[in-house]
Amino acid sequence: MPQSVLVIEDDARIRRVVEMTLQREGFEVCEAASGEEGLARLGGRPFDVVLLDLRLPGIDGFQVCREIRKTSTTPVIILTARSDSDDVVAGLEAGADDYVTKPFVPKEIVARVRATARRTRGGGEPPTIVVNGIEVSPLAGTVTRDGAPIELTKTELRLFVELVADRGRVLSREDLLQRVWGYDYFGDSRLVDVHIRRLRKKVEADPARPEVVTTVRGLGYRVPA
Amino acid sequence: MRAARWPGTLRGRATLAFTAVAVALSIVLAVGVWLGVSRYLLVGRERATLAQTTANAAQVQRASGAAGLSTEQLLSQLPRETGSTSLLADGDRWITTSLTVGRADIPAELRQAVLEGTPARQRFDVDGQTVLGIGLPLASGGGYFEVFPLDELDHTYRVLAGVLAGATLAVVPASLLVGSWATRPTLRPLDRVAGAAAAIAAGDLSARIDPQGDPSLVPIARSFNATVAALEERVRSDARFAADVSHELRSPLTTILGSLALLEAYADHLPADGREGLELLRAEVSRFERLVADLLEISRADAGAEDAVLEDVRLADLVTESLSRRQTTGGPDVPLVVSPDGRAVVVRADKRRLERVVSNLVENAEKHAGGATAVRVEAGPAEARVLVDDAGPGVPEEERSRVFERFARGHDTNRARSDGAGLGLSLVARHVRAMGGSVALSESPEGGARLTVTLPRQEVPCDD
Repeated sequence: MPQSVLVIEDDARIRRVVEMTLQREGFEVCEAASGEEGLARLGGRPFDVVLLDLRLPGIDGFQVCREIRKTSTTPVIILTARSDSDDVVAGLEAGADDYVTKPFVPKEIVARVRATARRTRGGGEPPTIVVNGIEVSPLAGTVTRDGAPIELTKTELRLFVELVADRGRVLSREDLLQRVWGYDYFGDSRLVDVHIRRLRKKVEADPARPEVVTTVRGLGYRVPA
Repeated sequence: MRAARWPGTLRGRATLAFTAVAVALSIVLAVGVWLGVSRYLLVGRERATLAQTTANAAQVQRASGAAGLSTEQLLSQLPRETGSTSLLADGDRWITTSLTVGRADIPAELRQAVLEGTPARQRFDVDGQTVLGIGLPLASGGGYFEVFPLDELDHTYRVLAGVLAGATLAVVPASLLVGSWATRPTLRPLDRVAGAAAAIAAGDLSARIDPQGDPSLVPIARSFNATVAALEERVRSDARFAADVSHELRSPLTTILGSLALLEAYADHLPADGREGLELLRAEVSRFERLVADLLEISRADAGAEDAVLEDVRLADLVTESLSRRQTTGGPDVPLVVSPDGRAVVVRADKRRLERVVSNLVENAEKHAGGATAVRVEAGPAEARVLVDDAGPGVPEEERSRVFERFARGHDTNRARSDGAGLGLSLVARHVRAMGGSVALSESPEGGARLTVTLPRQEVPCDD
């Protein structure tokens, strides 16, 4: 079954060109010209990836992203016309998994969608691991504490699994960008930092004093063994 | 440098003028004092000696008829100041109270005038000492002389002259000090204006003059600040405009890039000239895209929306990755030389910007200077450096600062036709500055140009 992508973008030409590009690569593509329309489509059926423009008429991309996160763990890639760090970080804080800045070449967006979709499908993960009272089942894609499920997005889960599978070792931002997002050395390390922050909110007893995922200054992150 | 040029400054000139006037005045004053005081002393001395001589001459006159005392005894008992000598000329007989001063010592003129009945005085030397001789004719014939040493007075003159000369000389440093001290508050407003103007010239458009309650500065500060505010607003709105334009270009560019990629998938179905057209289109569009991206970054920086994402980066790793990325996208192989202490050096930098810096430098060398001959990473005690040497002829000294300007190109007309908008090095300078570093152009030991990027070194815990 082909993977499905929802493109929420108000610029009809960009929407069309993204649709054609993804269709050529074998994706099933649905379009939405506004945030409201996008949310309505998401309510109707599940998608593997959502491409979301930040600047939308009506409710903006940030708001759409937060709405999506309320009910779903579907990966969201934001499209931003700016390299503005505020926009990027705000989008990630709102729950986005990755971002692409305009103008982008089609190759780029295909690569991002593929990497994101791959992240969510898993494969070859170790069986259930328990760290710090938290039970991680990579194959089932579930995380529980004392039997209570912790809801993680696909990217958060992937990130957590990478850290847990290598527990005791420090993973640099570059390592994580490569393993989770498929970026090379020049990936944006804010992706890692924002996702770690989000992850901590969910798995830490006190996110201000993390014990599950610790920071090793100047080096990266670690899940103590 | 500042000290050497100081006499040329307004303050220096004012201080020098002040000093010149002060010295001239003190010379005039010293000469006046000298003339007045020496005259006064001399007159006083002459008056005192004349009074003594007159009194003594009268006593000699009175006693000459009386019996009892010999003339020698009389002379020796006359009241005299220490060191002076009395002489009495009685016909050819000269009687003196001194062993050293006798008839022969009295100048002939003086002797003659007195013996002919005219009182006279004269300065002359006895044994190398200046003396004053006063002679009065006696009613009985002959004359009475007194000789006074003047060395005391000479000594006084010398001391006076010394004091005056010393005081005049002391005026020079004193008035330099006073002058510079006195001109400082007067010219401080100028200093502040100059400081603010320099800051603006260096690119800090937020610099303003604070009059700090100095009323003389208020009007100039007001108009200066208004001018700068207008300038700043103008620069910002220009930058915003450029940012808006490049921003607006991004959406159509996205569509163009996407459509072009779709078209290229069908390139094989196109006739030869269609393929060539497509090829040209692709080349121009990617150049255009690059230009828009550069313009956007530059104008955003101008508009004050600097958004560097700073993190600790191992410089050698980053340069290695940048060069290998260039190589995988078809760039030529450039030798990388990492000095031993450069291997672990860490800088606080925006990775993607620093990557742009390295690739722009290498690209610039390829476009304009026959390629980069070497890229080096070095470390100093407080800084880390990336050096890019090229195979070109170098850049003349006078053009070196211009290469970092926007759209700057050398005189070589060939370059105007080559790709690249000429924003490369200007962007390098901007990115490097945003990361707290600097970039400089010099000559490489092999004769080409050498671009050196210097970044502050970051102290971080050692790696495992």
